[in-house]
Amino acid sequence: MKFKTLAIVLFVAFLAIALVGCNGGDAGGGDDGTTTATGVTTYTIGVAAPITQGSVAQGMDIKRGAQLAIETMNESEEAKAAGVQFKMVEGDDMSDDKTAVTVANTLISDRNLIGVVGHYNSRCSIPASAVYSEANVVMISPGSTNPDLTLQGLSGVFRTCATDDLQGPAGALFALDMGLKKAIVIDDSDTYGEGIADFFYEAFEDNGGTVLFREKTQVAERDFTALATKITAENPDIVFFGGGFETIAPFSKQMHDAGSSAPIMGGDAMAEQDYIDIGGSSVEGDYVTNVGAPVEGLPAAQDFVAAYKARFNLDSVGNFASYAYDAAFAIMKAALIVHEETGDVTTPAGRDALIAEVEKSNFEGVTGTISFNENGDTNNKVISLYKVVDQAWEFVESMDLGAK
Amino acid sequence: MGILIQQIVNGVTLGGMYALIALGYTLVYGILLMINFAHAEMFMVGAYIGLFTLKFLSDPAWGMARLGLGPVQEFFTGSVLGLIIMFIIVFIVTGALTGLLGVLIERVAYRPLRNAPRLAPLISAIGVSIFLQNAVLLWIDSKPIPFPDIFPIVTLPYGLNSLKIFIVVTSIVLLLGLDTLVSRTKIGKAMRATSQDRGAAQLMGININSVIAATFFIGPALGAVAGIFYGMYYGAVIFNMGFFPGIKAFTAAVLGGIGNLRGAMLGGFMLGMIEALAVGFLPAGYSGYKDVVAFLVLIIVLIFRPGGLLGESVVEKV
Repeated sequence: MKFKTLAIVLFVAFLAIALVGCNGGDAGGGDDGTTTATGVTTYTIGVAAPITQGSVAQGMDIKRGAQLAIETMNESEEAKAAGVQFKMVEGDDMSDDKTAVTVANTLISDRNLIGVVGHYNSRCSIPASAVYSEANVVMISPGSTNPDLTLQGLSGVFRTCATDDLQGPAGALFALDMGLKKAIVIDDSDTYGEGIADFFYEAFEDNGGTVLFREKTQVAERDFTALATKITAENPDIVFFGGGFETIAPFSKQMHDAGSSAPIMGGDAMAEQDYIDIGGSSVEGDYVTNVGAPVEGLPAAQDFVAAYKARFNLDSVGNFASYAYDAAFAIMKAALIVHEETGDVTTPAGRDALIAEVEKSNFEGVTGTISFNENGDTNNKVISLYKVVDQAWEFVESMDLGAK
Repeated sequence: MGILIQQIVNGVTLGGMYALIALGYTLVYGILLMINFAHAEMFMVGAYIGLFTLKFLSDPAWGMARLGLGPVQEFFTGSVLGLIIMFIIVFIVTGALTGLLGVLIERVAYRPLRNAPRLAPLISAIGVSIFLQNAVLLWIDSKPIPFPDIFPIVTLPYGLNSLKIFIVVTSIVLLLGLDTLVSRTKIGKAMRATSQDRGAAQLMGININSVIAATFFIGPALGAVAGIFYGMYYGAVIFNMGFFPGIKAFTAAVLGGIGNLRGAMLGGFMLGMIEALAVGFLPAGYSGYKDVVAFLVLIIVLIFRPGGLLGESVVEKV
């Protein structure tokens, strides 16, 4: 009997806490969008990325990059002068397309939400973009490189990273320039991996190379021993793998164990120090294409790299942190302008103005000049090639596909 | 011919790991008629414990050297004898810790539900699985962690190398050891009795709780060994690494006849071989269908032998 009483007491207590929690939340929500007594307006920036499952490594980089951008902006003179502050709300899409749509719907239910930095995986960004566009919320993806995202004709959808229809062909041209004529192409059956591998395949064949065969595997697969044996027997010059570093690193290791000396090449999702840490000596000589010019060369990036390492107590900056940083800045810079002009970004007119303003973005970000074309793709069309030399990514050369 | 042998080597290595994990599923099922969905996570936790133990013993920047035991650490990494002793310590410590975790989980999450409807412990197992994954994710890291590249790799012809031989030999020794334990020793006899009829075994004076605890120690301990192999073989561990091998090992257990130890071993090696040979023989560009082939074999086996290859088909009493 005593137990029952205790249970009831606990239940009531729990209910009370839950209710208070909700009330607190509502009150907080009410305060934000409108100007408070102190004259400061707070807008919400959503960050949607895989945090607990899926491409967690990249997701955390995106979250940290956006967080640093928002904190930097909130401290800046221009935000203080305008009386605007930004608040970050995080959504965890777990790299799952259905969860991504749920996250999108949850984020837009906050009426102070003006923009979203995300999602990471192309398979998440594409369905989620429809939700944001419907709600007139700006979405800037820092990592979805599949061309289809911005070809849907949705308003307010942008990205700060170059697309795979540039990156894949650039990889093929780099490989052919080095005299590597026979390739084997593999992908992880993901929207991103499959897309970039297709573009590589096409460009490689069109420019005089031969693709011996095309294989498919899965994102979570780690055993490639049998596949590696098969590929090694074909003796290719290069193996292109469309996928993330966590899948490609063990692949490269197993290729090496199978006796292959062909370098592995991949896209931006492979361009992480973790790739080398996992692969060890096996990945020496592997290539990666990455969007943008080398970050180290840009003065603005130096400060960002230093601030990032200090803020999160890390030794290195993940690739997508810088794209998320620039994406968040693009939204916030536009929001400040619209706020100045209309006084409230959350009205329908304000939201339309925000989209128009983001479209007109033109500033020096940490990944280069941030501006968008009519589809919402970045005009930064520089693709760089890196190679693993002495256990680090070494810059080889850049190619500007925008110049063509 | 050379390539065929290489693929068989690949298949046997993979199969050894599947078999070790599959034993955990089959042991628990044999005794409790319950599918321990958290077993894949025991494999994952085992890999992490192995990683940290190995780092503690071998990495100069970690543990031992910092505790003023630098010479011991140098002995471990500097000589063949040291390496052997170190790996033995790593396997024993990891097996013991993961085994204890298994016992703890049984005590907390399954024992209270032992007489509940059969769905309840299943849900509890899924809960444990999610809990462990998230615990590792939050406390350790979301990124894959590189496994120390310490095992000396000697490359031999036919795709063989010292690590593959080590994995296969150790797996077979452990499998034979477990087989002997179950068929020859007193605790093994108690386990078999419990598996046949829990109530009757209890009436004969067998302590059911300790038998079940022993089962939950052995399964995860073997899973942990497979976890260390996985880390050494594929180079990294990550919090969600249990998923694929877990499903495959469960399939192996079903293929061999779930509840039957030798069946799990056979199923593990068979599944590994089927996967490797499927990749080898499927036309170029169709390697992705290896799982289709593997599951096709499973379906065909189950159609003709619903209890699995070595499983006894239980006749329902009317």
